[in-house]
Amino acid sequence: MNSTNMRLVDWVRNRQSPTKWVILCKAVLKKQFTIMLRYRVNFAINIVTMYVLFAIVFFGGQAAVSQAGGSFNSLDSTLNGLIVGWFLWTMSQGAYSGLASNVTQESEWGTLEQLFMSPFGFGGVMWVKAIVNLVQSTVVGGIMLLLMMVTTGRILTVDLVTIGPILVLTIFTIIGFGFAFGGLALIYKRVQSVSNIMQFAMVGLISAPVADISWLRALPLVQGSGMLQASMRRGVRLWEFAPPKLVVLVVTAIVYPLVGYVIFSYCSSVARRRGVMGHY
Amino acid sequence: MSQYPSSTRSNGTTESRTNAPAVRVETLQKIYRSDSGSVEAVHSVDLEIESGTAVGLLGPNGAGKTTTIKSLLGLIVPTNGRVAIHGKDVHDSPAETYNRVGAVLEGARNTYWRLTVRENLEFFSALAGQSSSEAKERQAALLEQFSLEDKAEQTVKNLSRGEKQKVSIACTLARDVDVIFLDEPTLGLDVESTLDLRRELRTMVNEQGTTLLVSSHDMDVIEHICDRVVIMNDGEIIADDTVENLFDVFDTQQYEITVDDPFPPAVRETVIDEYHATNFNQREEATRFTVKVIGDEFYDFVNTLQAADVSVDTVTAVEPDLEEIFLRVTDDQTTVDQESELEDGEDR
Repeated sequence: MNSTNMRLVDWVRNRQSPTKWVILCKAVLKKQFTIMLRYRVNFAINIVTMYVLFAIVFFGGQAAVSQAGGSFNSLDSTLNGLIVGWFLWTMSQGAYSGLASNVTQESEWGTLEQLFMSPFGFGGVMWVKAIVNLVQSTVVGGIMLLLMMVTTGRILTVDLVTIGPILVLTIFTIIGFGFAFGGLALIYKRVQSVSNIMQFAMVGLISAPVADISWLRALPLVQGSGMLQASMRRGVRLWEFAPPKLVVLVVTAIVYPLVGYVIFSYCSSVARRRGVMGHY
Repeated sequence: MSQYPSSTRSNGTTESRTNAPAVRVETLQKIYRSDSGSVEAVHSVDLEIESGTAVGLLGPNGAGKTTTIKSLLGLIVPTNGRVAIHGKDVHDSPAETYNRVGAVLEGARNTYWRLTVRENLEFFSALAGQSSSEAKERQAALLEQFSLEDKAEQTVKNLSRGEKQKVSIACTLARDVDVIFLDEPTLGLDVESTLDLRRELRTMVNEQGTTLLVSSHDMDVIEHICDRVVIMNDGEIIADDTVENLFDVFDTQQYEITVDDPFPPAVRETVIDEYHATNFNQREEATRFTVKVIGDEFYDFVNTLQAADVSVDTVTAVEPDLEEIFLRVTDDQTTVDQESELEDGEDR
């Protein structure tokens, strides 16, 4: 029996029960939130930094428009778009770096090897981390959304039945990149500079001009960003979107994480062959 | 000390006590390849470790110890060879293997310093799929076993180095594994912590039937914890025996001799040339030196002195410690290697 078949047999024989997966999810969630709350000053500083950046853009824009003799309220649509975009960027940023930067962190902490040695498998643990990061990012994004709406005095439509699935599927596209760069971090350790570039790339993707160039919808974040804008700014419900849009959203949410995970698995195997797994 | 029965493993694996050794390594080889060439870190290593025993892995830096341990754990993919834990190949059946094996690696924290001791134990139990209720008893027992009850609610970063090391081992045990690899477990610990940890590790073997593979530069640790010692050099195993046998082999090889002066220079030269005498020390009309002889060679040596009318004052057999044995074994191996290289050169 070849190695691939052996792995498959091992996976089937040892697949963990759903109860055990829930145990792992709860443990990772508890760990993430315990650290977040124990280092709440650090957490608060991160939120404040993101908020200050938004405030600079918002109040700066207001001042610039006023000086030019225009009315800031006339930019109503643009401002709402800014809030939705910022909200999505905050969440995407958290979900992406929660995987990519976390691999470097775990290497530095000397705990990566312990995660690797879990009976759930390294990939399994990383998937759980990805889901927990999504939850954590939702909390951070939610706080930011609230702060932005209070600051600007604008009320956006927050229909959870619509934005919940759209957000999850949209963030899943960026999780694929988290896996891919997390995999590279296993081999090359420091991929922080690439992560910094990703932050800007995400801004571009979120604000991509899909109306002019339709193929851009196939890129991560793009389709979801447009649908989120439509839902939160114009109150479009989930079932009111054209089916092709939903199909693109679902397909990209499946393809990108899968491709990212394949890259992650390949990098993991290269790191093990080179003897650099967790070696920092 | 509290106990938990090793048969009541809660990680879902059946406690199959087969005849398979806890650890089996067959012709393990690891070659690291890079642009600048390739390095063979481990060359054809064969090793078996029985369940419920402690084996020490000794070797100078670059001997291949860490590569061997990481290959055993699946963290490194070997170039050739097979590695099995309780009969399961770690590379083909990782999930099954990781239900049985854990490790505390050198230079790694192994735990989350920002979490408390208890939170770490809970997290690592869950990482093995144990619910908090079923793992609670085990965690309490581990806290007691490692005298960490008072520190349970403290974050690990605030503990001493010795306590941190105990937490690392406790977290590995929290996963309910019965084979543990420890890479330099006492590195940087003070004497008291080292003794403490040594005691705990031996207890794990004696009372819980844990299988240990301990890699360390601390000979005292190996000597006091391990039943067997494997010595590696240049990626190969050059000695593999029980601690007792290694001591027996080298026992009475070394003697401290004191002879009354005068000690003629010609005799002195003879003992240096033929018996490798060293450590000469002259004081109060007597000369003391050390010789290394094997078995009956000692009587030849004494006869040589008597034939030269040198009066032997005292003879003390020096019992070697493990460090001495290690140095001698690795020195011998290096000499053999150098000689064969020379011979190869001459042949060419």
